[in-house]
Amino acid sequence: MGIQEQYRKEAAELLSSGAVKLVIGYGEGTTADRRRPVFIRSAEYVGRLVLDANCVANLSAYLVQEGLLSDGKKVAAFLKPEGIRSMNILAAEAQLDPEQVVILGFDIEAGQATSLSGRNASDFTALIGSLKASGLSPELQKEADRLEHMGSADRFEYWKAQFSKCIKCYACRQVCPMCYCRRCIVDVNQPQWINTSSHTLGNFEWNIIRAFHLAGRCVACGGCDRSCPVNIPLRLINHRMAKEALDTFGHFAGESADQKPVLATFRQDDPETFIL
Amino acid sequence: MAKIGVFVCHCGENIASMVDTSKLVHAIGEHPGVTVASEYKYFCSDPGQETVKKAIRENGLTGVVVAACSPRMHEQTFRKACAEAGLNPYMLELANIREQCSWVHTDKDEATGKAIEITRSLVEKVKRNNDLKPISVPVTRRAMVIGGGVAGIQAALDIAAAGREVVLVEREPSIGGHMAQLSETFPTLDCSQCILTPRMVEAVQHPNITVMTYSEVEEVDGYIGNFTVKVRRKARYVRMETCTGCGDCIQKCPVKKIPSNFECGLGNRKAIYTPFAQAVPNVPVIDREHCLYFKTGKCKICEKSCQIDSIDFDQQDRIETIEVGAIVVATGFQVQDTAMYGEYGYGRYKDVVTGLHFERLASASGPTSGKILRPSDGKEPETVVFIQCAGSRDASKGMKYCSKICCMYTAKHAMLYAHKVHHGKSQIFYMDIRAAGKGYDEFTRRAIEEDEAGYIRGRVSKVFEENGKLIVRGADTLLGRPVEVVADMVVLATAMVPQSDAKDFAKRIGIGYDEYGFYNEAHLKLRPVETATAGIYLCGACQSPKDIPDSVAQASAAAAKVLGLFSKEQLEREPVIASVTDATCAGCWGCVIACPYNAIDRKDITDRNGNVVKRVASVNPGLCQGCGTCVTFCRSNSIDLAGFTEKQIFAEVMAL
Repeated sequence: MGIQEQYRKEAAELLSSGAVKLVIGYGEGTTADRRRPVFIRSAEYVGRLVLDANCVANLSAYLVQEGLLSDGKKVAAFLKPEGIRSMNILAAEAQLDPEQVVILGFDIEAGQATSLSGRNASDFTALIGSLKASGLSPELQKEADRLEHMGSADRFEYWKAQFSKCIKCYACRQVCPMCYCRRCIVDVNQPQWINTSSHTLGNFEWNIIRAFHLAGRCVACGGCDRSCPVNIPLRLINHRMAKEALDTFGHFAGESADQKPVLATFRQDDPETFIL
Repeated sequence: MAKIGVFVCHCGENIASMVDTSKLVHAIGEHPGVTVASEYKYFCSDPGQETVKKAIRENGLTGVVVAACSPRMHEQTFRKACAEAGLNPYMLELANIREQCSWVHTDKDEATGKAIEITRSLVEKVKRNNDLKPISVPVTRRAMVIGGGVAGIQAALDIAAAGREVVLVEREPSIGGHMAQLSETFPTLDCSQCILTPRMVEAVQHPNITVMTYSEVEEVDGYIGNFTVKVRRKARYVRMETCTGCGDCIQKCPVKKIPSNFECGLGNRKAIYTPFAQAVPNVPVIDREHCLYFKTGKCKICEKSCQIDSIDFDQQDRIETIEVGAIVVATGFQVQDTAMYGEYGYGRYKDVVTGLHFERLASASGPTSGKILRPSDGKEPETVVFIQCAGSRDASKGMKYCSKICCMYTAKHAMLYAHKVHHGKSQIFYMDIRAAGKGYDEFTRRAIEEDEAGYIRGRVSKVFEENGKLIVRGADTLLGRPVEVVADMVVLATAMVPQSDAKDFAKRIGIGYDEYGFYNEAHLKLRPVETATAGIYLCGACQSPKDIPDSVAQASAAAAKVLGLFSKEQLEREPVIASVTDATCAGCWGCVIACPYNAIDRKDITDRNGNVVKRVASVNPGLCQGCGTCVTFCRSNSIDLAGFTEKQIFAEVMAL
């Protein structure tokens, strides 16, 4: 039995036994290699679930839909390791109770979807720990290294050119599991810290603020990159912030469901190199 | 409609020489909302303040900006003036055009331009200020003194004498600190223990003082007037309540040859011990590391020898939580590890010792009963060389500062040596003789003139051993020639350095420290015993190298500050506190974790049937210190700080 069949069967069992009220998974998309999220509430529809190497989106964002978990019932979700990490962060930030989520974990290796054992967030701690060492894909890493070796003026020009394309559609915010605030800071207009116009300053303000808000929280699922209609390589900024959090504070986002937020905690051995 | 008064101060020439104040007054007078703009030589003077008050009354001002010095200087002055004229004191802003402008610029045109911008931005802020009322919080009128050396003891005694409770915490088994180790004290040569021990006894017997020895401060929470301190009471394995200090256990203990810290390793102690004969309290402790029972599970001879059953091997460390209103830090110093002076042979040659070793040798209670005998063979040294500044004033060894006490104690050592070894010859290598203090210069002159201390101005390059003698090679810079002295013993006047864990401790209790680890005072000249953390005070050598008179004086000063704080039951606090917008709070609890004062709780929002619909953060106004950490952390911008609201800050920034 292939992984898709195996997981369809499991989803059906979870639904028919009443263990979960909903399965969040992937279904056919508009083209052959696209997948869209599907929400299955009854075992009879599990045939709509698809699981293959094209299932790349991080579905954890759907777990924090307002009201979804407030009845205390469980939900199952197809999650890759990044998705499990973001779920851990959401749990650590009190946005969900990990007990309410049955994880149908999978990974994509050599063009194939493979299953992950364990159904609870805590079952994946070792796996997530082992991901610390793995970085970006080779081509993204090459680009990240290129930026790292630029002078600050050149780098500024690079991002200025990239951000000049931004149309403030906020697709990056919409897709990101970390952007769960009921009111985003960009929507604050008394006072309006972030200029909403799509000019260089406003675009810089928005994208830099977002990168800061993701520092120590981004799991590099790549959702913002893929959703950006004008192809701004947002993952590179977030990767840089994640690297800073890891190198400076040993913080790997989403390691566990009780991880403390890196920017809100203080440890006596925190480096003080940036304090005058 | 805003009616803002702007008052531009010349501060004599401090501001006026670099800022064109007339131009500033003219420019700001044109700014929308400014009703009055004037300048004056000293607005902080009585007539200056009267001008401000008069302008408020006559023009019905809604806000005041005084363009002058830093708010740290005169914010209170002008707030008071505003209040007297009937304006809420929080409708005042100080535009700092002195420290942040005139003092740091050299181009008058540019400085004037900057002064206009600074003042304008504060005008924009004050337009958006609101009336605020001070908050009253209760004060726990009990103090904690951390460190039971002479400074800590003095501070505790002074606070206790005024009728307030004090908890004196000392990590060693006895109070007394370094002073208990000293032989005689300069400049009077009175016996150190003879003048210290009465104070130790007084402290432990004082009804207002609770002495906690063998205890360490683990954690400090809270804020001025309301600290919660966790103290680790280390297990002594001896019952404090019943032990009479008879010493039978010590006598019987079979583990004998443990180098005593108190004797600087010159003498030994047992595995159950009191550090010195006059220890207070006179209750021994068992050193777990060396105790035969703890190592092998067998022995318990002390338990058998104790006639009143006061040994308790099952004791555990316990954490005691103590509420106090003020904390005095008197954690002291340590002597620098002289191993870094390889060229002086410290650690290699037994007869190269530190000043503190010499104190123990000269002390009547010391390992040689006060005879000056060299450690290697116990012979009386006929020539002793003292090397001053062995560590201090030496940037290459990392101590740029003067340790302040070494000139004096070296002179004292030479004197004691002359008194005890009449035919002995002392040679002192020095850089300068720094003897500023009451009776100090007379003291060093006495060492030279009456006790024939031989002073050689110059540095020592090397100490080496030859035929059982120590050869000290150096330079006499007054004669301009190299010198070599054959000595029996060499005493290094090593630097006073902070305790090795001083920086960690500072972080734990939340005070600042300098590059060496000495604790920072709030203002070197004007607030020398306060730290930047309100309610935490300093005294003694933890702040900088100090001798006994200075440490004691500073301890009494710190006690006076504590008593000032305790003079009222309520403490008036700035109403600068944070508040949460329930509607937008996402409940991520980042602020709860980030708040250094534990001032943020979780609050349930319920519908009219009492069902919880949402949980949001909620600030306890009694605990909030207005630091703004939560404001910066909140991603959804749901927290605002009274007195520094987002609207006010934004207006301030946008006016630049």
